[in-house]
Amino acid sequence: MNKYIGQKIKRNEDPRLLTGQAMFVDDLDLPGMLHVAFLRSDYAHARLNRLDVSAARRRPGVVAVYTAEDLGDYWRPGPLNVPAPHAIKGTIFHRRTQVPLVKDKVRYLGEPIAMVIAESRYLAEDALTDIVVELDPLEAVADLEKALAPGAPLVHDDLDSNLAAHVVQEKGNYAEARQRADVVVRRRIVVDRGAAAAMENRGIVASWDARSQHLTVWDTTQAPIPIRNGLAGMLGLSEHQVRVIAPFIGGGFGPKIMMFMPEEILIPWVAIRLKRPIKWIEDRRENFLATSQERGQVHEAEIALTRDGKILGIKDVFLHDTGAYNPYGLTVPLNTQTHTTGPYDVPNHYTEFKVAFTNKMYVTPVRGAGRPQGVFVLERLMDAAAKELGLDPVEIRRRNLIPPDAFPYQQGIIGQDFIWQSYDSGNYPALLNKAVTAIGYERFVKEEQPRLRAAGKRVGIGLACFIESCGVGPYEGARITVEASGKVTLATGVGTQGQGHFTSLAQIVAEQLGVDVRDVHVITGDTAEFHWGTGTFASRGAVVAGNAVHAAASRVRSKILKLASQLLETPEEELELSNGQVRVADIPARSISLGELAIRANPMRGSVEPGTEPGLEATDYFGPKYGATASGVVAMIVEVDPETMLVEIKRLVVAHDCGTLLNPLIVDGQIHGGLSMGIGNAFYEQLIYDENAQLLNASLMDYLLPRSTDMPPDIEIIHQETPSPLNPLGTKGVGEAGAIPIPAVFVQAVENALAEPGLEILETPLSPNRLFELVQAARR
Amino acid sequence: MKIEGEYLFAGPRQAVWELLSDPEALAAALPGTKRLNKLSATEYEGEMEVRIGPVGGSFTGKVIRSNEIPPESCTLTVEGRGAQGFAKGTGHIQLSEQADGTTLMKYTGDVQIGGKLAGVGQRMIDTVSKSLLKQALETLNQTLQARLAAATEGRAVETAPPSQAEFATAVAKDVLKTAAASPKSRWLVIAIGLVIAFVVIGLVLSRLGG
Repeated sequence: MNKYIGQKIKRNEDPRLLTGQAMFVDDLDLPGMLHVAFLRSDYAHARLNRLDVSAARRRPGVVAVYTAEDLGDYWRPGPLNVPAPHAIKGTIFHRRTQVPLVKDKVRYLGEPIAMVIAESRYLAEDALTDIVVELDPLEAVADLEKALAPGAPLVHDDLDSNLAAHVVQEKGNYAEARQRADVVVRRRIVVDRGAAAAMENRGIVASWDARSQHLTVWDTTQAPIPIRNGLAGMLGLSEHQVRVIAPFIGGGFGPKIMMFMPEEILIPWVAIRLKRPIKWIEDRRENFLATSQERGQVHEAEIALTRDGKILGIKDVFLHDTGAYNPYGLTVPLNTQTHTTGPYDVPNHYTEFKVAFTNKMYVTPVRGAGRPQGVFVLERLMDAAAKELGLDPVEIRRRNLIPPDAFPYQQGIIGQDFIWQSYDSGNYPALLNKAVTAIGYERFVKEEQPRLRAAGKRVGIGLACFIESCGVGPYEGARITVEASGKVTLATGVGTQGQGHFTSLAQIVAEQLGVDVRDVHVITGDTAEFHWGTGTFASRGAVVAGNAVHAAASRVRSKILKLASQLLETPEEELELSNGQVRVADIPARSISLGELAIRANPMRGSVEPGTEPGLEATDYFGPKYGATASGVVAMIVEVDPETMLVEIKRLVVAHDCGTLLNPLIVDGQIHGGLSMGIGNAFYEQLIYDENAQLLNASLMDYLLPRSTDMPPDIEIIHQETPSPLNPLGTKGVGEAGAIPIPAVFVQAVENALAEPGLEILETPLSPNRLFELVQAARR
Repeated sequence: MKIEGEYLFAGPRQAVWELLSDPEALAAALPGTKRLNKLSATEYEGEMEVRIGPVGGSFTGKVIRSNEIPPESCTLTVEGRGAQGFAKGTGHIQLSEQADGTTLMKYTGDVQIGGKLAGVGQRMIDTVSKSLLKQALETLNQTLQARLAAATEGRAVETAPPSQAEFATAVAKDVLKTAAASPKSRWLVIAIGLVIAFVVIGLVLSRLGG
């Protein structure tokens, strides 16, 4: 029994967050600080004919105005954060990354054209109106399917078409499996775009100290170390001259990964040039236009089955919208490919995608990152197949789940980490049973639903299964130091955006060192404190950083035991660590505090044995062989108002397995957050672009986020723990879990509630309007 | 955005045609017009103050008349740009004489909008532009009546176009009507009603104070 790991421990960081003491980027107010406003394009596709910033430069209070021309050699397309997956044979990938400021052509609405630096943000924004910009509008590529049609306008003039990538992967032989099939079900399925909509928009403050030749950047990034290394390279500085700090961040959700967005590249450059601190805080409208987005796929998918509902194969051919650029490689569509077979045993799988450039904001992972699309396609196929075969939706799923003795299971497709997707462990039938029992599936279908329907209520039930590939490499690290006070400091490279790192990582340390969780001081996201690692994404914090912390803590524990054994003249096996003390197990009075040990480990006089490392400190790293696979089953009961088509979620059950739980409270919180994002994706959050690629709902008045009242009154979470064999703690990720299955289960439950013959929902996000239209179309 | 509709002018076609060719009459009919200058027989240039929901600002642009078949039909191309975005549209106007001496105007158009106007003002633009058009046409019709009366009586024309405040109130009423159509947005009606009440109270107070 663990003392700390797995316990419901309240979060260390919450008192600071709840009392307004936590530092966010916008809290910084440095002496002499200047402010930035960007002139952004009102067109999605246009040629830049003339740009005259002279009047803006003359406005009092304006310090500088920069255009692409002013950047000189610093103007260059941003880095490719994730390379093309050349491990997949025949892959086509055309790299086109974002540019800092528009030089010749605007490729998406809101693309920055010029930047104004002024004494205040007000002055900077006023000066934007002084800029004369002549844009010659071009026909925009707004529709994903039309983007690849012959004769479509080109987003990148140097390419022959808007094709950004093409990937084909196959496990087994689908064509052959299809021949043997009793039933083949084919559907066209569409998933549209949404925003990440973090509560805190992006923000950057950069400060150059000319005397020490040192640059400090505070950035709302999920990955401060890659940003530091990248900026140093671009600016021609040593990595040690650049410090990137990611302080508290109000939600990351993907677009804050190591993006090197234009503002991130420009603001440090300006700070060095002007030798003044520079601040830019994105406003909400900029966030809609200038922060990356996701989803946006059109699938032609089919499933081949035997008469008794056993899957013989799945074929999925889809288009993926990458927007104007593709700085994040193929992570999103690859995730879709590895999630279109889910927890089912699919012996034959053909999957092919084409990625298209469009005149929209570029697409990079947003919580779920391609997985929700794969799960939506798969679960819709399962529902359609169940109908075709006259099987119960739960039964068809049960018949196809990968059995518990089949792990590690080869999914057979190369994933976002360029490794064959392999499921490490799991018990899917047990999860399904837990969800079915908890929601009372049988009773609802046989008793409650008929009774409620007789009373005129449109109630329905849905159930969806999913997996979440997570905890991918390459590695993370941690340094742990026991201080003279007996308190422990942990420094790690991952950034934190609300995940509870200050607590869950502290619990891992506390478990090894026998100290109170509150006595572990956690430092994340500061490259001056720890500068090896990648960042927080792909649901990998608890797995990769967590196990690095575990490794470093184990090494510190060994040091503690070795030294204490000498001092207490007792063999190590007879010592125990508890309450900040090392004690002889049978004689608790014979003990020494960790603080005293730390002092003894760092002698100020005399000599030490050769090879001695000072202090009770250790640094260690962890990198898994391949990513872990978490899993879950969600069940939902909804009621639809047939007049307004508003949907009320009556019950929501989540049976989830993310291996060893570090802190159930935090895991629940992660699931809750993910669910609300999934509910948004299912019914509220859709970015609506017109035929000119103008974003028509670029404000929170019109882009609807689910509110607390749109969430179900009670979320029932059942934890199942199947430890991952890939890491010592047995952990798996949970950060994206909630967001992944909700669109799939939501539409299934809504379809079931409306019970309209011919109604089949093959798209998300829905809305009351859209649902009404679909019902009308089904009745015709 | 597609615009389509018709309007009945209480006067002969030739008089309506002349009215629609008069930049001063047009400028007066569109509240917020700061200036409208005739550049050539078919081209006007001007500046207009527009407020659509939360988006307000000055737009400068051009109006070009083409395909003219006096006094029957013409095409109008409008292009406006401002700090808040842009609008670009083409409209076709067709005038036909009615048996009772009135003139029926049929119009169709296609408008593209962009920038903040589209991103933030989108939800209001349909109602506001319809309202704007309706009021402009009503004002033009009044001017037409005044002109016709003046011509018979042989005196100078006097018409008072609606003030900014009258215009704003009319827009608010139209927005309210749209909102009232859906029972779910009853709260919106109440909210707008409250806002109007506050504005009125504010006006009264400011007058008392002044």
